[in-house]
Amino acid sequence: MGYPYSHDLEVGTLLSRHFGNEKARTLEGWKELGGYATLPKALEMDPDAITEVVKNSGLRGRGGAGFPTGVKWSFMPKEPSGAHYLCCNADESEPGAFKDREILRWVPHLLIEGCLIAARAIRAEHVYIYVRGEFFPFSAILRDAVVEAYEDGYVGQNILGSGWNCDVTVHLGAGAYIAGEETGLMSSLMGGRAEPWIKPPFPAQSGAFGRPTTVNNVETLAAVPMILAEGADWYRQWGTEKSPGTKLWCCSGHLERPGTYELPLGVNLRDVIYEVCGGAPDGKKIKAVIPGGSSTAMLTAEELDCSGCYEGMAEAGSALGTASPIVMNEDTNIVQAMRRIAQFYAHESCGQCVQCREGTSWTAKILHRIEEGDGTVEDIDTLYHLCEQMTGRTICPLADSVVFPLLSSLDKFRDEYDALIKR
Amino acid sequence: MSDAANHITLTIDGVEVSVEAGTTLLQAAEHAGVVVPHYCYHPGIPSRPAQCRMCLVEIEGQPKLQPSCVFPAGDGMVVHTTSETAETARKSVIEFLLLNHPLDCPICDAAGQCMLQDYAFETGQLRSRYAEAKLVLGRDRVADDILYFGDRCIVCTRCVRFMEDLAGDNALVVAQRGHKAYIDTFPGKDLDHAFRGNIVDVCPVGALVHEDFVFKARAWDMDSSPGICPGCSTGCNVEINVKENQIVRTKPRLNPDVNSYWMCDHGRRILVMANRGVRAEAPMIRQGGELEPASWNEALSWVAEKLSDSSGVAVVSAGASNEALFYTRALLDRLGIQGGTFQVEQGEEVTLTGFPRLKLRADRAPNVRGAELHDFRLSEELPEVSDGATLVVLGDALSGAAADYGANAGFFLYIGSHLVPAARNATAILPAATVPETEGTFVNYEGRVQRFHRALRSPGVARPSWMFLSRLLEHLGGPSGVREIGDAFAVMATDTAGMHGLTWSGLGLRGELLSEAGQPAVAAE
Amino acid sequence: MTDTGDQVKKPLHPAAASSQAFQVADIRPTERLFDDPEGRDRLEKVLSRYPEKRAALLPMLGYAQERNGWVSDESMAEIAGALDLTPAYVRSVTTFYTMYNRHPVGRHLIQVCTCISCHLDEADEVFERFLSETGTRAGEISEDGRYTVIEAECLGACGFATAVQVNDRYFENVTPEKVPAILDELD
Repeated sequence: MGYPYSHDLEVGTLLSRHFGNEKARTLEGWKELGGYATLPKALEMDPDAITEVVKNSGLRGRGGAGFPTGVKWSFMPKEPSGAHYLCCNADESEPGAFKDREILRWVPHLLIEGCLIAARAIRAEHVYIYVRGEFFPFSAILRDAVVEAYEDGYVGQNILGSGWNCDVTVHLGAGAYIAGEETGLMSSLMGGRAEPWIKPPFPAQSGAFGRPTTVNNVETLAAVPMILAEGADWYRQWGTEKSPGTKLWCCSGHLERPGTYELPLGVNLRDVIYEVCGGAPDGKKIKAVIPGGSSTAMLTAEELDCSGCYEGMAEAGSALGTASPIVMNEDTNIVQAMRRIAQFYAHESCGQCVQCREGTSWTAKILHRIEEGDGTVEDIDTLYHLCEQMTGRTICPLADSVVFPLLSSLDKFRDEYDALIKR
Repeated sequence: MSDAANHITLTIDGVEVSVEAGTTLLQAAEHAGVVVPHYCYHPGIPSRPAQCRMCLVEIEGQPKLQPSCVFPAGDGMVVHTTSETAETARKSVIEFLLLNHPLDCPICDAAGQCMLQDYAFETGQLRSRYAEAKLVLGRDRVADDILYFGDRCIVCTRCVRFMEDLAGDNALVVAQRGHKAYIDTFPGKDLDHAFRGNIVDVCPVGALVHEDFVFKARAWDMDSSPGICPGCSTGCNVEINVKENQIVRTKPRLNPDVNSYWMCDHGRRILVMANRGVRAEAPMIRQGGELEPASWNEALSWVAEKLSDSSGVAVVSAGASNEALFYTRALLDRLGIQGGTFQVEQGEEVTLTGFPRLKLRADRAPNVRGAELHDFRLSEELPEVSDGATLVVLGDALSGAAADYGANAGFFLYIGSHLVPAARNATAILPAATVPETEGTFVNYEGRVQRFHRALRSPGVARPSWMFLSRLLEHLGGPSGVREIGDAFAVMATDTAGMHGLTWSGLGLRGELLSEAGQPAVAAE
Repeated sequence: MTDTGDQVKKPLHPAAASSQAFQVADIRPTERLFDDPEGRDRLEKVLSRYPEKRAALLPMLGYAQERNGWVSDESMAEIAGALDLTPAYVRSVTTFYTMYNRHPVGRHLIQVCTCISCHLDEADEVFERFLSETGTRAGEISEDGRYTVIEAECLGACGFATAVQVNDRYFENVTPEKVPAILDELD
């Protein structure tokens, strides 16, 4: 499949402009395409001025939570009393999401430049790019790019003669979804089990190696160079007031043209599914969409007319998450799909909090039993009870991640559960 | 740090409490008389992962329940530990924890002292909604004396964190993750740390059990007495569990000044061993060359009559109580015998790195300082007994002696509990109660006078040494003998440098330091 | 696909030392990881990237697997020694992550993503087809030592269902029919 995917919606391709262009992978090619033009500018700027531009751009975290990036950076101490770190979260592991890998493999230098500018803003001396272990082919491209950048003086000591030093290390994970949660990521980076920790302390106070740390998603950091180059207002020409800019949409499931598409925030979700991705193949109808990656609430086909931005998806009773709609056609067994999702979270629970450790696996087992035709009416009550007790009770939101799709599936597709139970 | 500025006032379950800033809600609740149920939190373990989610409480104005074990108390905060939301959440945690639990309380050694059982009982959940097959992990060994029952484990990680935070030996870990997580060691590397036994004590359920205690006693069949560990000069405060007049288990008893919540494994073994060996059960006097049993009255008058002022030597045990040592000294003074020595077994010193004042100390006896206080002197050897001289022995001082030791003495008075070979050379044997069979005090390495209480009945007519020694002195023309430990202590306190002003009841369960007069010129540590 | 062989030609850059592919067909078994210059060099370069030794744990576990195809108790103990950790701690971390093989696997570790998006495609059928074509049950090594087939949780290739990872390579848009051809391609 070629890049960028052609679609009919009028959008600017910013992040994905060079997807598919092998030239963008090498330092030389990337420079020809205009890369590394913003870094010198950043090196001349006051770190806080960089943060201010990003703050004004309204850029929000693309890892799912949508926290304003510039605000996050501003939490970092202004006068370092020791090392600061930037962690780039490339642990992309939310089922449905496959956007960061496209950045890693097509425009690695864009990410490196974004990392350096961010590091400059938060006064970090080392950037750790934590890539999920499975991404060998993509982390290899990024890794080679980092080495090239070192060799050409874009990374390391005295960057571009500025006197500023910053290292970049590509660090591989080894199979743990929870390493994508920021404190879990830092636990893992430090050589531990990827167990999230309770906040406070917040990463900006005491993060990786006990030092002030900022954790940003790949897509967030990749957007930084253009924002700094073109300005906050320029970036705001896309998206909505509260969700400026463009977003990589990862569309999967029963679609004619699944894939990663760069679309402005605020795009109509129905258009994403039907216009961009061509709807379900073989003329089938769509039954449900999980719009923001598997941890978000399901929408029915009738509920798709919503604004694809942070606030719009919240209004629709779901979440933008990683903007990763998983589309299910009319033949889909919702209970089975839900069981598969619950099984994922049961497999990925780190096991610290009781509600998550026991609740995710219990949920998966109940759903499996219902799927097999051995469910009881009481099981539905138990599932609702689990939804209640797994919401907001734990250190990190992994348990909540099962609840959103589960609760919505129970509310919206109860007939499917009932049909299996009454059979 | 007690000025008003550092204090905050908050309301917990309708009770207004004032606490120091930085106090957690769980600790603040204790001030209000409220115990918030918890598993992973342990007051003696510094790390607080807040992972069991049992101590969640409702704070007005906070959208989510918060873990009280880490959440700091705030001024004006209104906290509800028993609101419906908090109660439901807690009940739900219990239900989760019981999903894969084998419910084997009838054969579990923790039954009756199990935080899971207690809270399950409190929340009144009789029926599980869990219709799936339970996970079965079985039993494993984590140390040569500790078993792990994985199915009962709630993965609170107290044991893991004790080893990491306190023992400084990360040898016990969580293996796997999620619902498959369990506690394990590295293959072939079982725990061998000198303080490992504390993992059993911190376990809130019956997952970790000392092998020598498995299936031995139910919690409700045991009596419990406060004691002082005789294993070394630290003097850890302990709780002695007794069933049918046998010590079946020793657990540490909280004393923040001495041992916090901990004790070493050497100490645990020593107390259980105190029961063993051949005991002196009745007074015996040598008549016609043979040791013959006698009544106390008979024996004491006989000894008083036969003992005379003479030159002689004395050997005492640094495991004897201050009261026994005091009356022994009084007897020796009456007889005109100077000096007297004691021996102390030496062992490797091991520090509990997370609470460094707690050490298994090299002096493997509980009352070295007490023996010194009563003018006995440390010696590596037993004193030589000249032919015909008087020999007075107190306590188990002859366990390593040659079988013919004391055979040449003119009069050999043995005041002890065990009939070790050399004791059979005695002219008279006065059977003494062992430390767990009596009450008394020890002085630990830093000069802390600590009380221990009686846990066991003595065999036969063995009696506390201080009691019959005071009567022996009465027979020798001294004041009336004492019958109560408080009286014995009072007499001693009056006559002993450093103990003036101390009273038996005043010592309480945490002990008191000797005054300067009782401290050596250079501090012990 | 990326040719990861490039890295071998020039000395390994320290920045790249923590991101070497560790699930590979060409293992180079060694009993002791740090007795040869290569192992020592890797350790030194990885350590140079972090303020704390412990952070080298995941990269070094990866290195053990890169060399031996799996992470043995002996490797864990050796790594523990090199990083001043206890073997138990290393085991705790190793068993947390799914990608460290605790037992030897076939030359080609075939991981079929059966998570939601692939499940909605034909993942279950693809998985069954791999099992039947290799004549194995899930997790076991085929008789010729070439294959081990397991189910994987989301591989992050949801738009290209069904996604299959074979060692350090991705195969995307896999259908049951394509399975024999993929196996043919693997040596």
